[in-house]
Amino acid sequence: MSRFLQATVLGLLEGGLYALIAVGFSLVWGVMNIVNLAHGAFVVIGAYLAWELKEQFGIDPLMGMVVVAATLFVAGYLIQRLLINLVVNAPIWMTLLLTFGLELLLVNAVLFIATANLRHISTDYNTASLVLGEVRVPYGQLIAFGVAIVLTLLLVAFMDRTRTGLAIKSTGMDRGAARLVGINARHIYAVTFGLAAALAAAAGAMVAMARPTFSPGDAGRFTLFSFVISVLGGLGNTWGALAGGLVLGVVQAWGGQYLTGTLVNAIAFGALVLVLIVRPSGLLGKPFYEARVEAA
Amino acid sequence: MRRRACIAVVLVTLVAGGCKSSDDANSVQSTGTGARTETLKLGAALSLTGALAREGVLTREGYDYCKAVVNEKGGVKVGDVTYQLDIAYQDDTSKADVAGQLVSQFNDQGIKFVLGPYGSASTEAAAAVIERNGQVMLDSAGADDNIFAKGYKNTFAVLSPASLYVTSMVRAILELAKPTPKTLAIISADDGFSKTAAEAGKAEAEKRGMQVVALEYVKNQTSDVSPALTKIRGLNPDVVLVSAHLVEGVAAIKQSKELGVTPQGFGETVAPPTPDFVKTLGPDANGVLGSSQWTPDVAGKDKYFGTAQEYAAGFEKSFHKPEYHNAEATAACLALVLGIEKAQSIEPAKVRDAVASLDTPSFFGPLKFDSTGKNVTKEMVVIQIQNGEGVTVWPVSSTTKPLKWPATAR
Amino acid sequence: MATPAAVDVDSPPAAESPAVGARPGGRWWAWLLAAAAAAYFYIAPIMLLDSFQRTLATVFMFAALAQGWNVIGGFTGYPSFGQHAFFGLGGYTVAVLMAKARWSFWPSLPVAIVFGALFALLVGMPVLRLRGHYFAIATLGVAEGLREIVSNLSSITGGGAGITVPAVGALATTKYPGNTAFYYLFLTLAIVSTLIVWVIARSRFGYALRAIHQDEEGAAAMGINTTRAKTAAFMISGAITSTAGALYAFQQVTVYPDNIFSVSEFTVLPVVMAVIGGTGTVLGPLGGGVALAFLSEWLRRHYTDLHIFIFGAIIMVGVIFLPEGAANSLRVIRTRRRLPFLENVRRYRL
Repeated sequence: MSRFLQATVLGLLEGGLYALIAVGFSLVWGVMNIVNLAHGAFVVIGAYLAWELKEQFGIDPLMGMVVVAATLFVAGYLIQRLLINLVVNAPIWMTLLLTFGLELLLVNAVLFIATANLRHISTDYNTASLVLGEVRVPYGQLIAFGVAIVLTLLLVAFMDRTRTGLAIKSTGMDRGAARLVGINARHIYAVTFGLAAALAAAAGAMVAMARPTFSPGDAGRFTLFSFVISVLGGLGNTWGALAGGLVLGVVQAWGGQYLTGTLVNAIAFGALVLVLIVRPSGLLGKPFYEARVEAA
Repeated sequence: MRRRACIAVVLVTLVAGGCKSSDDANSVQSTGTGARTETLKLGAALSLTGALAREGVLTREGYDYCKAVVNEKGGVKVGDVTYQLDIAYQDDTSKADVAGQLVSQFNDQGIKFVLGPYGSASTEAAAAVIERNGQVMLDSAGADDNIFAKGYKNTFAVLSPASLYVTSMVRAILELAKPTPKTLAIISADDGFSKTAAEAGKAEAEKRGMQVVALEYVKNQTSDVSPALTKIRGLNPDVVLVSAHLVEGVAAIKQSKELGVTPQGFGETVAPPTPDFVKTLGPDANGVLGSSQWTPDVAGKDKYFGTAQEYAAGFEKSFHKPEYHNAEATAACLALVLGIEKAQSIEPAKVRDAVASLDTPSFFGPLKFDSTGKNVTKEMVVIQIQNGEGVTVWPVSSTTKPLKWPATAR
Repeated sequence: MATPAAVDVDSPPAAESPAVGARPGGRWWAWLLAAAAAAYFYIAPIMLLDSFQRTLATVFMFAALAQGWNVIGGFTGYPSFGQHAFFGLGGYTVAVLMAKARWSFWPSLPVAIVFGALFALLVGMPVLRLRGHYFAIATLGVAEGLREIVSNLSSITGGGAGITVPAVGALATTKYPGNTAFYYLFLTLAIVSTLIVWVIARSRFGYALRAIHQDEEGAAAMGINTTRAKTAAFMISGAITSTAGALYAFQQVTVYPDNIFSVSEFTVLPVVMAVIGGTGTVLGPLGGGVALAFLSEWLRRHYTDLHIFIFGAIIMVGVIFLPEGAANSLRVIRTRRRLPFLENVRRYRL
């Protein structure tokens, strides 16, 4: 029984962090119909920047997270405005290939600059665990989970209550109509992408703090999990990303306990394919996105 | 018409670029005194990018150091020709098929002597090509016993095989740890090298009367081993051994602390001797055992690098404190140099025979190969991290400090 | 209703009606040139370096993979991102039959081809109902899932430790034929797959696929059995890809799941080649495959540390300025006498 509880706790904590990684990806896909294969690279860059801040200036990752997010917001805005904007109306594989090329570029730039050394941010609080009977809750992961929830709530508030958030949602629903009412679609797209990059970077800072190690090679895995969670939860849906992340984390943890440990990824993909076939709009998504016509 | 013609012209030009031409791998400089100095080019396909980039760079440092020292000491003398070494590096991007391809290209450039890639997968792919082309490869970092079960004659490994990695730690613990631990749990990555090591270790432990309560597998290169740890936590093993690489090794120690897995001691195969291990784990690294191909305390000396201590001092001046990935690379290059000197020729077949018949001490330990190409006389060394440094604790003849047991703070 | 911006009014030439522009592969002198090129390549090994033959074998393999994707992605417009599933399936079929069942390579190869087609049929049933990005993700999920399953069936496939084809020594079921043999095998595969695409391009089946690409509902309304057509295209694509995988496994001798089921190597790279060469054309993916494979090889040799970085940059530039691919852009240059690069950018940006 303690194994089950322990696995469930770990799965939830990990799932929360995954959700934070995925929420920006889901947003971009839902609003702009762009699948950003370089998303994992943003997470890794966020992790490295946070690590540098701690190493050079002694800034705690929770503070560093803010700096890193701001930096990557600007970077994401510029990348979208100057680069990805060029293929927004193109057939699907254009954006996929463009972002794939971007991912190669970013990951290998990081590899070149930072080398492949494994890194981790050590703080005073992330080495111990909360002990609840037989179950241990690692502080580092608990804090990362808390941050993920808070940021998700902030994002929901942003999308529902602010003008920019509403502009994003309406541009995502119908770009032509949004432009007709005076929304600068290019700017809003760039803001969305910047927001996604910022969230990814914040997630990266948390990954650096909560996970044992990180390295440039993790980027692909982050992107892949973002895919799965976005589809599970429904595109563009923040609560959906959270739900999807938690579900994925828990299912993987249970699978890892009661099946062989090497089946973890197979479970993720099995879940993905199942959801796509049975309910493509995802657990919490609205069928609208399925009906939207995609540029051929 | 023009489109197809364009394509055809481009293709022809490209193909022409690959046509046979006598490409001399060696260049001649005359010193004017009758004794010539030439350059002997060696090939090395290493993982300079990709998942194994870290270890690939460590291997390159080892090869480069060997080249520098050998050239400084005058080069390799064959008859009245002195050869200066030069190493041509190519990146196999941590992929086995690319490694094979690169070795093939070396052959076409006339490079017959190859220094091995990093990792058992790439080494295995390269060995197949080496065998077909009649090249000679000195394996510095491919330990999986399977490589040597194929009947290849042209590949020689200076390092101890995979089957000794976990076994040596089992032996060390049973010999030195008091009170003698009774139960053991093993966590292994699912790649060939780790599995071979884990299974051999399990067999040794059971042969010696230990009870192996669990053998759990995790995905290769994963940074999350918590499923395996959660499974073994309830079994309360006395010892936990991890047969994996750097990423899994670091994760195992960290997450054990988080999850409250507290055996009397930990041991890991590849991770503890690397500098990243102590740097990433800090004080948590203390007490962890590691199996190492080499430490500066092993016995033996040779004419190029001296003793192990002298090698360490010299290497540190050029790069950093050496660890076994550097040393095994240098040793592979050294074995090749000694083979060429013994054969007094740079003909691959003669060098191959000379290497096969080597029986000589070196800074790395004894170099002697059995008929399959494995180094049978060298033992593995077990270290323990004490105060942030790797200390040799086994075999007892090389020990500098005693084993601290229980190794974890209880 | 669909927003104006979402419907692509100016369709890429790949979906153009074949009545406009050149009839695919119709001229006699083009045939002569193609035959001469093929003959040249068949004779070439006499004067080529052994390792260069191996490089060319890899180049031809990528050309075949690009053509395989071209059938489902280029013509039909269903961007499959799971081609590596077929590649790995073909490879493991051959490896397991040779290693465990002690078959020779030559009977194992047709089994691999059939398995590829059958897997496409099986997977296509649920997955071809999805469109666009969803189809891409679903195929990716299937392929990654297959890799994990193969990884875990250790008793049959050796799991993460890989499986070795018995090709040397006394235990070999088929002796390793050498680099030249693989050169011929892959060359033949590249030519055969291009011929298959050529036949498809001129046939009613091909027109059906293009119709599905342009407007699937409209095609169905015209009486085309879209499900059957899509599934057939998927099966052809799967068969070509699994053949390449089978040959690859034999060439590499040892196969690891993480290597052979690599999405970036055996799915994305062929897609890049097909796109830059020209989707929906006959020679586009062939040219794109050859050019990009050589480029990648050349970069690796000369820029050891940064070759992937540079390759990524080149992909990005290529996608922005040549979204139709080289073949289609060349046709535009020829027929309209204009350089399409900036036009493409203007057309697709927001």
